[in-house]
Amino acid sequence: MARGNNEILANLEQIVGPEYVSNEEADLQPYTWDMTWAEPRMPDYVVMPKTVTEIQRVLRLANHRKIPVIPYCNGTNIGGLCVPEEGGIILDLKKMDRILKIDPETCYAVIEPGVSHAAFSAALKATNPQWKGEEFSKGFEFGWGVHPASASVLAMAINHGIGHLNGRIGINSQLISSMEVVLPTGEVAKIGSCAYSDSWHSFLPLPRMDGLFTGWLGTTGIVTKLGVWIFPIRPYRDVLTIAAASAEDITKYMVRWRHYSLCDEVTAVSWWLAQIPIVFPYSPKPADAPEFFSYTVISGWSEEELAYKRKMWKEVVEKERAKGTKLIDFEYPPEAKKGRTELPSRIVGSTKNYSKSCGGGIAWPGTFAPCRSWPILYEKWKEIYIRHGLSPATRFTDYQGAHYGMLRCMTPFNKRDPASVQAARDAMVECVRAGIPEGMLPYKPPVEYQNELNAVADAGYMYLMAKIKDMLDPNNIMNPGKLGIR
Amino acid sequence: MSHLLKNKELKELAKIYDYVSMCTHCGNCKYGYEYGSASNFAAMLCVQGEKFNFDSYRGSRGKVSLARSLLHNRIGWSDKAAHVLFTCTSCGACQQMCETDIKPWILRMFEALRYEAWKQNVAIPENIKAWSSTIGTLYNPYKEPHEKRLDWLPSDLRYSMPTKAEYIYFAGCTASYRRKQIARATVSLLRKLKVDFTVVDDEWCCASPLLRTGQYDLAAKFVEHNKALPEKYGASGFITTCSGCYRTLGRDYTMDAPEGYADKYGKMTGVKVLHTTHLIEEMLNKGEIEFTGRFDKKVTYHDPCHLGRHAEVYETPRNVLKAVPGLQLVEMYRNRKFSYCCGAGGGVRGGFADYSLETAGKRVREAEATGAELVTSACPFCYTNLADAIELNKSQLKMEDIVEIIEPIVRRK
Repeated sequence: MARGNNEILANLEQIVGPEYVSNEEADLQPYTWDMTWAEPRMPDYVVMPKTVTEIQRVLRLANHRKIPVIPYCNGTNIGGLCVPEEGGIILDLKKMDRILKIDPETCYAVIEPGVSHAAFSAALKATNPQWKGEEFSKGFEFGWGVHPASASVLAMAINHGIGHLNGRIGINSQLISSMEVVLPTGEVAKIGSCAYSDSWHSFLPLPRMDGLFTGWLGTTGIVTKLGVWIFPIRPYRDVLTIAAASAEDITKYMVRWRHYSLCDEVTAVSWWLAQIPIVFPYSPKPADAPEFFSYTVISGWSEEELAYKRKMWKEVVEKERAKGTKLIDFEYPPEAKKGRTELPSRIVGSTKNYSKSCGGGIAWPGTFAPCRSWPILYEKWKEIYIRHGLSPATRFTDYQGAHYGMLRCMTPFNKRDPASVQAARDAMVECVRAGIPEGMLPYKPPVEYQNELNAVADAGYMYLMAKIKDMLDPNNIMNPGKLGIR
Repeated sequence: MSHLLKNKELKELAKIYDYVSMCTHCGNCKYGYEYGSASNFAAMLCVQGEKFNFDSYRGSRGKVSLARSLLHNRIGWSDKAAHVLFTCTSCGACQQMCETDIKPWILRMFEALRYEAWKQNVAIPENIKAWSSTIGTLYNPYKEPHEKRLDWLPSDLRYSMPTKAEYIYFAGCTASYRRKQIARATVSLLRKLKVDFTVVDDEWCCASPLLRTGQYDLAAKFVEHNKALPEKYGASGFITTCSGCYRTLGRDYTMDAPEGYADKYGKMTGVKVLHTTHLIEEMLNKGEIEFTGRFDKKVTYHDPCHLGRHAEVYETPRNVLKAVPGLQLVEMYRNRKFSYCCGAGGGVRGGFADYSLETAGKRVREAEATGAELVTSACPFCYTNLADAIELNKSQLKMEDIVEIIEPIVRRK
């Protein structure tokens, strides 16, 4: 069965070629849903451009005819972000998959939207950091997330994707150094150093106009090229682990440890998240099991550097214990350790653990939250989750020192059972509602979370947001329905 | 609400909905990637996704999504749905990458989808319909008379084959009708190696093309017929040079779902199924084979999907090749579990010859990039597609089956 109308279809075919447009439901159906509870919605067309010019022409057409456009790379950025709330055109960008540049001297790369983490990782590992031809070490790395290798690097970055190495280098959007964007009205703009030369190394000292396109959930334009900082791979790595009897205790340890900025990552997972698969539906943990398990990844340029970091870590643990913090020794299984030291990481932790027990549904209240709120919110979330029959499979991760961190609760649910879907959705929305006053902000927010945010946002902030949106996208064609402001 | 099983008329699909619903839609299946090592393998493996681009075609996620959309009654059948289903070569690359609990069921689900498609008024490829209309009486998909099945066998052997033997050499349809030199080389090799075997004139198609294209009802009598052959000829097993036959006899006949179809057709028990390379490797390991010559060529090996990803036989053919004096084995970038399909499987060669040969052409270019003079494989069907692509692309590469390499230069110790 076909959707849309033939005139628009013909226009789109003229722009990208008939083999790269479809309005057939059999082609459209994979674009209707994702992992989460987002209700499937059918687009009217899927279009696969190859060039910036083609994107410009598609956007001009869409803007003229007021057709929604949903940017899409691999559909793994979840939260229903690519689910077309109001139908329209799925702009599938995976054919734009070139790594345009890897600069091993200035340490940045320029990529297109279709570049997968797999392709990027392979290319970076094959490029050695150097200066004027002199090689310093082997390979580069980036802020690898916990996602399929097919996921888009660019989409992760502009949507504030998180992952490994974030403790040291920050989240992916902090690594963006320049960008090219097609505005909803069809104009192309370069932002950052690339606006002045072919160097894509930095936004600074220019106005940070990249902020108009990061964290906006694809509602303000199509980012077609992205410069990102890359980092030399450190040859020595280790994983150190400790457990704790409470969220309070594990947070105390994490805050003290990350104070020194010595680790690539420090993360803690609750007992329920440490189980494979996650316990679903909820059942209590054994009374003698720790409430939280934590791992931290350290890296260095020499064994001595690693030994120093181990020594510092031990001191932190001893100091905390001396204060009465209940920390429990435990060793990570070798396979899990490997997964943390050889990046990008296998996605086992993200999907395998959930599908058998529950029919494929996974979502989470994924949030950026000040670390002081972790133990407070954990106790609140735990009560909410248990009340809804769900396990509080919670994770804390530190981002770049003491400034902020991630708090989320992985939530399997059974998509085949409407009551299970409802319970999960209700629990997660309630968690978000409980968290916002504590400083927590959901990332890649599904529409329901966005509505919670909008309900309590500063009025001036909402006014400015709407004004920017109206300025950039006067006909509200870009991914409509996601921001909840138009 | 939309994930409820509503269309229960799709019985074969509905039966496995428990597994279909385990796909999390994560997209791991869409790209080949090796985690962890210092230099990562990363490449597109999905033949169909590479050609047709849309997510509907890419990896198992698109097809799982199609299955769900049909089961949820969110979309109806269409010619496009049939195109999505029948352009998949069933190479198993998506299954290889899958990390969720649907993993073992992926290929079975593709076949169940195709089974359901046959019952709808949709565009099943004409060529598949054509061979399917005669296979029930000719017992091969090449529309050749069954009486000519053994024409490849030298006349001096044809009537001197024993009526009882330890093994039945199951040549398969492709070697019997299209790549007769592989069948002849295999028989010659087995004789040189003094293997107790016979060739039978009532061998029928193993049913691989039928199962892979979802023709469950038609497949039944083929499975039943071939399963009875070992007892009839007093044999303890089958030897086959064909990876498709190996997968079908060795898995579909003997294993329950999701690996095979024994749950549907009954289990073949007590029958050994060997690929020719298994036999050679075993005899090499026992020191029973002596090389009488050399093969001084640079050779690259193409993993047939049915032997590789479907049956996880990766090293056996390589071990055989490595044992050949003078032979220098070089690998293509995409190899073993990350191999790239020749483009022929899943009914694609019959259904979409141009696309199939285009895929084979990509594989030929990859083989050329190794600097090899010759590409070898362990499947007459892969042989056919690759050899045709070599010719079509005017490549300088030569193509030989492993058996053809080995046969002239060995003898039993």
